[in-house]
Amino acid sequence: MPSPADNIYLPKLAVLDRVVDEITDVRTFFWHFEDAAEQAAFRRFMPGQFAQVSLFGVGEFPASLPPSPTEEETFFTIRTVGSCSAALHALQPGARFGVRGPYGNGFPMDAYAGRNLVFVAGGIGLIPLRSCIIYALAHREKFGRIQIFYGSKTPQELMYRPDLKEWEKAGGIECHLTVDRGDDGWTGHTGVVGSLFQKEGVNLPVENTTAFVCGPPIMFRFVIMDLKKLGFEDRNIVSTLERYMKCGVGKCGHCCIGVSYVCVDGPVFTFEQIRKLGEEI
Amino acid sequence: MRARLIAKPDVLRIVDLLRQEYEVLAPFRGRGRDTFFEAVTKANRDRIELHLPNPYYPPKRYVFPHIEKLMRIKQTDGTYELQPTLDETPRAIFGIRSCDVAGIDHLDRFYLGRDYRDTYYEHRRRNLFLVNVVCTDPEHDIDENCFCVCTDTGPAAKDHFDLQLMDLGDVYMAVAGTPKGESLFSDPVFQPAGPEHVERRRAILAETRRRFKTMTSWFAATVRYVSQGKILDKTWQEIGSRCLECGGCTYVCPACTCFTVSDRRVGPGEYERVRLWDSCALHGFTRMAGGHNPRHAVHDRRNRRFFRKLAHYFIQRELSMACVGCGRCVAVCHGDIGMPSVVEMIRRATVETESADAVAR
Repeated sequence: MPSPADNIYLPKLAVLDRVVDEITDVRTFFWHFEDAAEQAAFRRFMPGQFAQVSLFGVGEFPASLPPSPTEEETFFTIRTVGSCSAALHALQPGARFGVRGPYGNGFPMDAYAGRNLVFVAGGIGLIPLRSCIIYALAHREKFGRIQIFYGSKTPQELMYRPDLKEWEKAGGIECHLTVDRGDDGWTGHTGVVGSLFQKEGVNLPVENTTAFVCGPPIMFRFVIMDLKKLGFEDRNIVSTLERYMKCGVGKCGHCCIGVSYVCVDGPVFTFEQIRKLGEEI
Repeated sequence: MRARLIAKPDVLRIVDLLRQEYEVLAPFRGRGRDTFFEAVTKANRDRIELHLPNPYYPPKRYVFPHIEKLMRIKQTDGTYELQPTLDETPRAIFGIRSCDVAGIDHLDRFYLGRDYRDTYYEHRRRNLFLVNVVCTDPEHDIDENCFCVCTDTGPAAKDHFDLQLMDLGDVYMAVAGTPKGESLFSDPVFQPAGPEHVERRRAILAETRRRFKTMTSWFAATVRYVSQGKILDKTWQEIGSRCLECGGCTYVCPACTCFTVSDRRVGPGEYERVRLWDSCALHGFTRMAGGHNPRHAVHDRRNRRFFRKLAHYFIQRELSMACVGCGRCVAVCHGDIGMPSVVEMIRRATVETESADAVAR
């Protein structure tokens, strides 16, 4: 008989360590599993995977994993939108909540070896891509050029500002930022994220390049159009999809699009796959 | 041979034997058409009936309950104690129809297949004993909505039961499907069966098959059209416009698997996490926190249900179809878009487009 440890729906207890404010309504929650062995096992996740977060008495929700497995700490970055995320935002350091996972396919990082990586993110779309960016930088020698194009509505809405500062300074990575509306202190680029592709000195590679696109649906649509105009093939454009999920393991049925379950067949899909899903994303 | 005979007045002896080990669930008649499965007690044992309309509330609930407790959550000193609530009660369903046996087989393939095995389903299923009864009585067992002859799941289940009973007129034939079922044959109530009984079984089945009224002979073609994405939006819209979004079809379906999960407070600092049947017919099924809903139109949701049941990809993945021909969706649907109607609407629409194509050419 399987031990309770094999119960696929049973969360493991996690402790909230500290909370960092990111932007309005968005915070990063650093946590660790109570059980050290559990923590060690969990840290073998792949960039692009996700976890189910339990707020006991409230419910469970799927959350991307923004840390890279090459980093020490585990954390979630969550915008408060529903009852579960609101309950998480109300927790104080030291509080317990539940986590199970990691789930999903993740980015096939080995398959990108030797290729240029272009990350295009809008708003909180940077959350699921962060893991992949940090992972790529930790294995810098494996990849060609690494470029980041990141846009938000205003300078105040830019996520992970300490990371952005580092990426702007660091060698071996080109980080381009833009905002829809600047303010007095903003000296950078203004415009939609796709407008960065035409910026002087960018020279966006197309050959032997994989583009990662994450952001709000409207941004996604326009960036895809821009990339395709530049000559990107659908199979070289990658994204991660979001869906309402209750189980994370392919049973509850909520995240099924066409024949694919976002939780087990995704959440990472190429645009070629996304086009064939047969339903609106 | 694994077949035996049991005299008609003795058939409930099987229930008595099973009750020594199992909680036995059996079909009973309520008022009018109403029939239901219920736990057998000393008081109701003699009211068990084997020829009666199949209950609308499918026996799948004994492996996948409408509301199922997953765990108890106790809050103590700033931390939580999680107590999984796995149900391992040995249960036997006496008188489960062949369509519902096929439904449970489909659930087995779905919940226990692929990368993750559903712990709760597995515990219930492992302790379940199935006594299938073959539908032979055209007055009581079969109604105008039944179409298991089209889904190849009836009237006699070919597999996945522990014991199968079939009415041969003056006597029941019992067939063992598993060693567990065969072990019952050690009871003296079971008598040997001969070749003449096998022949009578064959003749009765052939006759029963002819009594089915709903023939969705276009099923295979519909599977092909759905799989190839050849069904026009117009047809889905026509189907969707008849859906009242009540979710009834999914709640009575022996092969539907979707659920939602919810936490509820049961006392001070005590919660229960439960899962409940959910329905792709309902608007909130795909609505995400923040309000975005990728499946907003009702026909998108109807499309979903029939795509999930009929697309070749899923049939191949599970090696069984998520429709077992029980006809319950036909009986409960106020908009007349049960499975056979949908197959018929798709057939009619395709005939229209094809004749239009021919003219255009």
